[in-house]
Amino acid sequence: MHGATSSVSEVIFGLSPLAVSLTVFVLTYAVIVTEKINRSIVALLGAGVMIFTGVLHQSEAFAGIDFNTIGLLTGMMVIVAITQKSGVFQYVAIVAAKSVKADPWWLLVMLSAVTAVFSALLDNVTTVLLIAPVTLLITDALRISPYPYLFSVIFASNIGGTATLIGDPPNIMIGSAVKLTFNDFLFNLTPIAVLVFLLTLIPIYFIWGRKLKASDEDREQVMAFNEKEAITDVKLLKQSLSVISLVILGFVLAHSMNQEPGTIAMFGAALLLLLRALGKDAEEQSHDVHHSYAEVEWVTIFFFVGLFIVVAGIEKAGALSLLADELVSLTGGDFKATAFVILWVSAIFSAVVDNIPFVATMIPVIQSMGSVFAGQSLTPLWWSLALGACLGGNGSLVGASANLVVAGFAERAGQPIRFLPFMLMAFPLMLMSILVSTGYIYLRYL
Amino acid sequence: MTIKAVPLSPEDFCLDPDASLMDALKLMLEKGINHVPVCDPERFVGIVGINDILLELIPVSARVEHGLADLAFAGDATRLLAAHVEGLKRRTVKERVKKGQVLDESCPLLEAALLLSQNPSPLPVVGAKGEFRGMLSRRALLGYLAAQEEG
Repeated sequence: MHGATSSVSEVIFGLSPLAVSLTVFVLTYAVIVTEKINRSIVALLGAGVMIFTGVLHQSEAFAGIDFNTIGLLTGMMVIVAITQKSGVFQYVAIVAAKSVKADPWWLLVMLSAVTAVFSALLDNVTTVLLIAPVTLLITDALRISPYPYLFSVIFASNIGGTATLIGDPPNIMIGSAVKLTFNDFLFNLTPIAVLVFLLTLIPIYFIWGRKLKASDEDREQVMAFNEKEAITDVKLLKQSLSVISLVILGFVLAHSMNQEPGTIAMFGAALLLLLRALGKDAEEQSHDVHHSYAEVEWVTIFFFVGLFIVVAGIEKAGALSLLADELVSLTGGDFKATAFVILWVSAIFSAVVDNIPFVATMIPVIQSMGSVFAGQSLTPLWWSLALGACLGGNGSLVGASANLVVAGFAERAGQPIRFLPFMLMAFPLMLMSILVSTGYIYLRYL
Repeated sequence: MTIKAVPLSPEDFCLDPDASLMDALKLMLEKGINHVPVCDPERFVGIVGINDILLELIPVSARVEHGLADLAFAGDATRLLAAHVEGLKRRTVKERVKKGQVLDESCPLLEAALLLSQNPSPLPVVGAKGEFRGMLSRRALLGYLAAQEEG
């Protein structure tokens, strides 16, 4: 899918490449869905089988890995791992809470907004991991239920992640595969993400917001929080914010500089590591660098590597072209219908299964539609896929990693978020966001 | 020789699992002890320690994995602490009780000495049917052994 050179497959025992690759693909995805075995192991095994059975040559498998996505993810993970130690996220959350005088409803709005903005610029899991504890502390001090806040943090995280190229893995993959820039995402997805965010707050207000009350004394307690104390390392804070600003500027200018986001993120990570290393002896440098690399979510990275190879296997065997043809014939070759089908199917799928494998599969499928919709830009289809895959993650507790992280944290904190009650609220809200997105796609692009 | 021969700390009290954590705290303060055995009604259930009660006062956001690393920014948070102290009346001992290391009264002295050295607190001793016999402290064991040596 990412420039894999085409050669004739010599599959073992003379079997059909299509049958073998599809079997490996289905088995890989089926085992991933069961969550019985770590997903990175399954994806790498699937990738290995694609090569061992002769569907792909090793060089084709490596060519199938999108190293721009891998570089972008890894670079941002290193930057965030270093930055989070400065306490800046807690600082911003406390300032946000105090800016609304710890009023319970506006506190929910502000914490959600902070989560959305951080999720748009950093990865969602890190954002919620840093915002959820502060949220819990503030609701504890206000003696109010944290549930509406944690629910809103989950939603805000997925909506915020939708807004930019770097906000959510599906966007990173789409942007990288079809050369959509940071600015493309900013101009096309940020407006709808802001709209969905604001509209989502309305039902949340009527369900919970209007009932949230806190005493003046408890609010004063939150107002007494000293945000400056949350900053644990001022020097690190300055270094991190400078590098993040440069990286974001790099993303904005990437297209005109003829550079890929993966390079910018990796360079930013190296620059921040260098700033941290200055003035330290070799042993201390080694410790810092080792620690920063250890914070990278290698499970996710290896999962991506394996998936890219598995998808390259079925792509080479021609399965994805067939799927694209089926999809087009299902919609009668109608471009609008195809866009809506992609949007809604992506949303429903992403609500119940991991959106990363789904998007990894859909990218070459949509690319294959280029011949059917000749002369027509496929860009609306990409926005449909991005909106469906990212916003769909709000549909259930298993829809996105950030949801599970918040649920896990809430469980440990004795405030469990149960699967069914969450879904009963979240799924309709997710459908609303997809309905709004449908209108947006129709009015703006079709 | 087994620990049956050692005079155990005279624990003539045992908390009911449904007692509140505030009851446990009061008992600890009154007796000057850091660990209280919990029995239901005669059968030993576990131990609740003063640190378990202290943990109840810490906001949950700071005591779980991936929680807040420090709370300096929250100031003294007197109302928060007071609310959590008040909460001790509503939390039961069984929510915090830990079974931990338990000694059978037939345990040899050497083994008991080893286990005591590996645990920060006195160890509960139970009979053959799981009934609570008392607490074995370092002081009790060492005192007994010293007395044996002199005698």
